[in-house]
Amino acid sequence: MSKAGAIMVLGGGIAGVQTALDLADLGYYVYLVEKKPYIGGVMAQLDKTFPTNDCAI
Amino acid sequence: MTQEGYNPRILGFFCHWCCYAAADSAGVSRYQYPPNVRVIRVMCTGRIDVRFILEAFRCGADGVFTGG
Amino acid sequence: MVEAGRSPNIEILTSATLKSIKGRAGNFTAEVFQQPRYINEDLCTACGVCTMYCPRPIADVYNERLDITRATHIDFPQAIPTSYYIDPKACLRVNYQTCNLCAQTCTAGAIDFSQKPKNMKLKVGSVILAPGFGRVGHDVLEKFGYGRYQDVVTSYEFERLTCASGPTEGHLVRPSDQATPKKIAFLQCIGSRDVTCGNGYCSSVCCMYAIKEASVAKEHEPDLDISLFFMDVRTQGKGFDAARKRAEEKYGLNVIRARVPKIDQIDSKLALTWTTDDGESHSDLFDMVVLSVGLDAPEDAHAIADIAGIELNSYDFCKTSHGAPLSTTKNGIYVAGAFQGPKDIPESVTQASGVAAIASELLKEGRGSQTITVTYPDEDKALEEEEPRIGVFVCHCGVNIAGVVDVKAVRDYAASLPNVAYYEDTLYSCSQDALKAIAQKVKENRLNRVVIAACSPRTHEPLFQETLRSIGLNPALFEMANIRDQCAWVHAQEPEEATQKSKDLVRMAVAKARLLEPLAQPTVDVTQKALVLGGGAAGMTVALSIADQGFETVLVEKSKVLGGNLRKLTWTVDGQDARKILKDLVRKVEKHPKIDVMLDSELESTSGYVGNFTSTISTGGKTEMVNHGVMVIATGGKEYKPKGYCYGESRQVLTQLELEQRIAKGKSGFKTTKNVVMIQCVGSRGEDMEHCSRLCCSQAVKNALKIKELKPDANIYILYRDMRTYGFSEDLYREARQKGVRFLRYTPDNRPEVVKQARGIKVNVYDRLLGEEISIPANLVVLSTGIAPGENENLSKLLKVPLTQDGFFLEAHAKLRPVEVAVDGVYLCGLAHGPKGLEEAVSQAKAAAAKAAIPLVKGKVAVEPIVSRIDKATCIGCGICASLCPFNAIQMVKEGKRKKAETITASCKGCGICASHCPVLAISMGGFTDEEIFAQIHAFSPDGCGEGSEAEKK
Repeated sequence: MSKAGAIMVLGGGIAGVQTALDLADLGYYVYLVEKKPYIGGVMAQLDKTFPTNDCAI
Repeated sequence: MTQEGYNPRILGFFCHWCCYAAADSAGVSRYQYPPNVRVIRVMCTGRIDVRFILEAFRCGADGVFTGG
Repeated sequence: MVEAGRSPNIEILTSATLKSIKGRAGNFTAEVFQQPRYINEDLCTACGVCTMYCPRPIADVYNERLDITRATHIDFPQAIPTSYYIDPKACLRVNYQTCNLCAQTCTAGAIDFSQKPKNMKLKVGSVILAPGFGRVGHDVLEKFGYGRYQDVVTSYEFERLTCASGPTEGHLVRPSDQATPKKIAFLQCIGSRDVTCGNGYCSSVCCMYAIKEASVAKEHEPDLDISLFFMDVRTQGKGFDAARKRAEEKYGLNVIRARVPKIDQIDSKLALTWTTDDGESHSDLFDMVVLSVGLDAPEDAHAIADIAGIELNSYDFCKTSHGAPLSTTKNGIYVAGAFQGPKDIPESVTQASGVAAIASELLKEGRGSQTITVTYPDEDKALEEEEPRIGVFVCHCGVNIAGVVDVKAVRDYAASLPNVAYYEDTLYSCSQDALKAIAQKVKENRLNRVVIAACSPRTHEPLFQETLRSIGLNPALFEMANIRDQCAWVHAQEPEEATQKSKDLVRMAVAKARLLEPLAQPTVDVTQKALVLGGGAAGMTVALSIADQGFETVLVEKSKVLGGNLRKLTWTVDGQDARKILKDLVRKVEKHPKIDVMLDSELESTSGYVGNFTSTISTGGKTEMVNHGVMVIATGGKEYKPKGYCYGESRQVLTQLELEQRIAKGKSGFKTTKNVVMIQCVGSRGEDMEHCSRLCCSQAVKNALKIKELKPDANIYILYRDMRTYGFSEDLYREARQKGVRFLRYTPDNRPEVVKQARGIKVNVYDRLLGEEISIPANLVVLSTGIAPGENENLSKLLKVPLTQDGFFLEAHAKLRPVEVAVDGVYLCGLAHGPKGLEEAVSQAKAAAAKAAIPLVKGKVAVEPIVSRIDKATCIGCGICASLCPFNAIQMVKEGKRKKAETITASCKGCGICASHCPVLAISMGGFTDEEIFAQIHAFSPDGCGEGSEAEKK
């Protein structure tokens, strides 16, 4: 049986989004499944990030 | 010239990645600031040639703002 | 995030939960349940009118319930999808069939109460679990007065309180009386390193974020007095110690090593009492206390585990092993991010890329079978070359622009500008039907330049450019005037001025548009082969992954055997047999038909750019050329060789790795051992090297426990500065303490001393509790020597990849691009990047393999059209541009007798530093030419200012 070319990523935080982006770049169709009404997860709630104090969004 | 009546025309050169993004952000947060600046977007403040700044003054700018 | 929203191959299903997974690796069927938003994402323009009219207030969860929002809302303006949603629990229409105000006020017609919950069955080859982490329970926080005292807040709440877009617009106030606090305490390890709440592990991120939050608070309120209460300061990440030191010095943060057991309130202040490790008791009053809460397992960990059929570890995180950190106990289901164990952003991003590589190995036969490729019609070159016919579209954006700016006046003003052939105002220019209408008008009127006066090109330019491409126009023939974000929104009280500014911005945009030229969108073919430098654990893992994804790989190893530092390891920190892991890796690499191993070999030179590198490899005097598309640096690091501590003078003084080899030989080596003293941070953290070596603390407790196994009555002392057994290694630290290993903290100004005696050796160390120096006679002194960088300078020069101050390779972005470097097509992993244990090295190697495989999979590299172009006839070959280019994207090539600059378009990022510094104006930037920018400057003046000034001609 041939293998599917689609992948499901559960969770739309920084890890899920990065996985989805890389998988799409690697030639797969991605379903990004997120519980909340928006993606970004906790990182979207952060003001700045250590140690460079870059903006998180 | 009183502070009240002074209405300078300012030309801004904004870096796409930082200052221009920050100016958008200010809008999203509905911060209010005086409407005196007109913006030219560049991909980096490194693009700004000193000739641009001189030309801006020649064209009547009272101030030039570079942000990056 | 925005990229994920735009990719045609990522389908974002929000408000969705996983219900079941059936099938096996390669062919799963996943059932997903999706709640409606009640707002059509495609129609919603995120104008916010519905929130203004919604009568139903609810707590703003995004702002940690510190603010109020409405039943219909968006969490934050940059949210993806950029669409509002209606909270079904709160909405009056959904629950009681009343209200409907939002639907009546939404001019875009986006609100749709007929939406129903959906059940979907998705056929997928693999499932990746990245559900993140959960929150520490309220009961844990209550022990520290949270809920009882208003001014005890969590670190999440504090984050929102210091954020400019937060509920207080970044004004730091304490909740009880809205006054600005003067004195704040941060309490660490809340819900971490605490078996009483069931979380024995270290959350690995709180030390850093507490320092960050304290620094941000000090930026807001420079007079703040901030104390941070740590058990150990665990800033073990790359460059983190240096950042911590800078923050401590710059902001004058008080670092106190103590755990505060509880908090009391005295009048309006919070009273803290604590005991330091010298036995002294202290107490003080604070205005506000921040609880640095740890990362818990996700609330739905058990549900996910049941659905996916995977096992959890004892803390309800996903069960994995150090040799295969991204694999769950079920084939085809993988894990990344905090669900695998508490971790920070760079580690999460690394694992995310790593897990993509693993899924890609599994499904390579299915690759490309389900992806969508967007195609465009050929460009109408003839039309593009005609005299500019500019179309100006002025957007109302509902009331967002039109509520302030007189849009019709701006539209009519545009009509008066030169070359404007068509003008129109549109209600929402970004909506699907408006885009169609714009495309229609452009075609009908044979327009060849388009100006849209609306929001920001940062968010919407790609969308409009896409529309141009879809009708055969080059996307570079497009310009935006930002009359929303940088005009209507920020001058809401000055409609006349805002209208004037809009006219000026449109005039400047049209002036630039007249000069816009189509830009080529070239692609470069990729040599589908990878070169991996370094044959240690990281290098072998990278090579295997790239080869398993289907690409030829050349693995170059300096020594005569594969294995690198892994050869010296006996056990992993989680107790696996390191030698078996090594053997497996070596066997797979040697057997793999797509891997060509070159031992005793080194890289001599490299030329080219992403997709097309040519490298010379020397093997025992002979050289060989290899053509490859990508390259991975996995050259490793080395064990630091200690100076002093009687190392090399006494056979009783060993390094941790040497000890490990002795332990491997069994009991016989410890027959007479009574006292073992381990000294941490030998060479690290400022003694000789500045960095923290990250793995030595776990290594030390691991080996201490091994000795205890072999010789239970041995006395073991570990002399440390901060025990950095982060993550689940904290379990080992606790076990060691329980088994009687003694831990004594020393400070860098009072380091332990190893003294050779007539018979044996002793270690002198200051005992903080006794308040005096003690002498420990030792049979064995073990130095935790950490990781020194390899000989990286040469390779750094060869590849033009910069090093950090500590001598490791510097990644492109510490958080978002942790395995890429400044040079495109070159990737980084393992000890060459910085000190780390096997688990992290493997994740990182997989991540590098994913990133390196991307250009190989695509077969082509797209080149940005806004690159620099050098007019060779004008160029005098001075080389200023090449020396200034931050991306090494300009090379000097010999043409006849002279050198000329040449842009490597594949590497150019379009910053334009070269163009502004070229003394003979030979460099032009696509989309930002001198002429275009001068035209904008002239148009800045309402009367055009004349052309051809002295400055311009220079």
